Amino acid sequence: MHHLQRLFLAVMLVFTASTAMAQYYSGDHTFDGTNKNEASASLTTGDNIITGHCVGNTIHYKHYFNDHWSVDGGANLQYTKQLYGFKAKGEYHLKIRSFHMFASAEYMFNHYHKYNTNENVGNASVRFERGYWDITLGGSFIGYNMMGDHYTEPITLTFGAHATLRPRTNKWNVGLLFRNYDDFYYENWNINWGLDLYYRIKPNMKLFGEFNVRPAGSMSQLASKYETTGKIGVIYRWK
Amino acid sequence: MEITMKKTTAYAFMAAISLMATTTLFTSCDKVSPTGVLIGNTSVDDRVKQSLANYAVFDMAWDKTLPDSIEEYSFIVGSDSHITYDPGRLSEMLEIGIEHGDLFYCHLGDLADTKAEYYENTALALYRATEDWWDKYLEPYINENFPADSIFIDKRTGDLYKQSDLLNMPTYLPFYPVVGNHDITHNGWALYCNLFRSSFYEFTVQMGNSEKYDRFIFLDSANGTLGQFQIEQLDNGILQRDKKEIRNTFVFTHTNIFRPSLNEFASTYCREELYYILDKLADWNTTIMFYGHVHAWDDRMFGGVRHITMPSMNFVDHPNGGDDLLVRITVMKDGSYKMEHIGLHCKERSKEELKELGYYTNTI
Repeated sequence: MHHLQRLFLAVMLVFTASTAMAQYYSGDHTFDGTNKNEASASLTTGDNIITGHCVGNTIHYKHYFNDHWSVDGGANLQYTKQLYGFKAKGEYHLKIRSFHMFASAEYMFNHYHKYNTNENVGNASVRFERGYWDITLGGSFIGYNMMGDHYTEPITLTFGAHATLRPRTNKWNVGLLFRNYDDFYYENWNINWGLDLYYRIKPNMKLFGEFNVRPAGSMSQLASKYETTGKIGVIYRWK
Repeated sequence: MEITMKKTTAYAFMAAISLMATTTLFTSCDKVSPTGVLIGNTSVDDRVKQSLANYAVFDMAWDKTLPDSIEEYSFIVGSDSHITYDPGRLSEMLEIGIEHGDLFYCHLGDLADTKAEYYENTALALYRATEDWWDKYLEPYINENFPADSIFIDKRTGDLYKQSDLLNMPTYLPFYPVVGNHDITHNGWALYCNLFRSSFYEFTVQMGNSEKYDRFIFLDSANGTLGQFQIEQLDNGILQRDKKEIRNTFVFTHTNIFRPSLNEFASTYCREELYYILDKLADWNTTIMFYGHVHAWDDRMFGGVRHITMPSMNFVDHPNGGDDLLVRITVMKDGSYKMEHIGLHCKERSKEELKELGYYTNTI
């Protein structure tokens, strides 16, 4: 625990330093005042030490009721992994001076078909965001059923940090991420890291991509190869 | 409110905070390799490949057949000794095992914190226990069963031996560890491998003429994963060299799956691997899976398998010892087993005392 605290503090300090210059917010994933609907589709491919080469799709839809409230849902179809899941999330947005705060509650279900395992995840998180960076903190309850038994893991910390090269209003961007989750899983202490990027084709459409390294082991365990994936997709917004 | 500052001030600020962050990460990290947090510098795949090579080269076939007259046998399990200067708790564990007549002794990893001197101390403690074990069991056994004026043949190799050859053969203590994360930090695998050769192995125990065997599997999970190569070997049945009929399977590894409480680290296996391991253990019809790593006791049934996470046996966590730092499993002739807790109570010795006993008391 001591070492984790050290690492977390260090990462936070680096991000604070890297974003100390002029910052502003453009709110790419908040209500823009016009378009209340947002949908995305993406293709993921990569390599996993258990399942080998993996290919899958994710789809996602989000609806903004107003500047504060939104709901979204998504589905994950990992064909070669035989992993299928969906999630639903509600989010509340609040602007605090130049910060934007997002408080969210999420339910996720995953079916790992190869192991006949059903996984239920509940997560509550708070994300703080400015023009060049965001951090996420929260907690997850992960439970699974397999072989006629059930186990719910004690609550685990959810943490994420993300910084971008350009402000969020820019036509393109590249970011660096560290976190213990992805769109369709929450890990315990393992620290994912990678790059993400986007290119805005039109005001209401952009291409996005992500390179994600998901190592096994954390802290004193010396991270080891577990999964490496690339993702490419498109987001579209409409009234 | 916007923060505005000159570029030079901002860069100075960035540099200062980055320096603080770097210092935070790199100071007092004896037990942690800071660069290994995101990218490890030792691979479980390499360790397992080396282990399998050593398995073949050093003929590490430790299968045991017990005389038919024996009604039960036992083994003891300890974990996370984190030996530095005083290997006293490991010595006490082995003394208990030798005194009681346990067939073998298992350790769930993090044997010593990774420094050459600590491993030298560990090796010396094991050497002394080997001498005790030799005096108490092996020498009397050889004297009793192999008369001095006879010639013996090794059925496996066809080699011929006299009693004196047997008495002068190198002796290996039946001590079976798995590798832990602190055993591999700072390239510690070289130290570990020099002593124990392998992080991935198995053996069987046969009681008398029984056609059913008890199987003991030792897995390398020091990086929080079994790794692709080890998983392939398990899926290919590499450890099931001969198709024996198995009645009990006992599995030993370092990284835990179940979390005893909020105070301990959660499992660091990624999700699919976690489910893969639980599924594989059920597939093996595992009797007990033993884990270490989190220094806390946990005992639960899941999927028909008993999962036991062991407390640590080191001086830092338990300066005054404890009554339940080891477990002994006794396996009966009918295949049933019983478990009992065993205490360790020795106190950490002074550096002067350790020095007199020949142990390193400083790093060189």
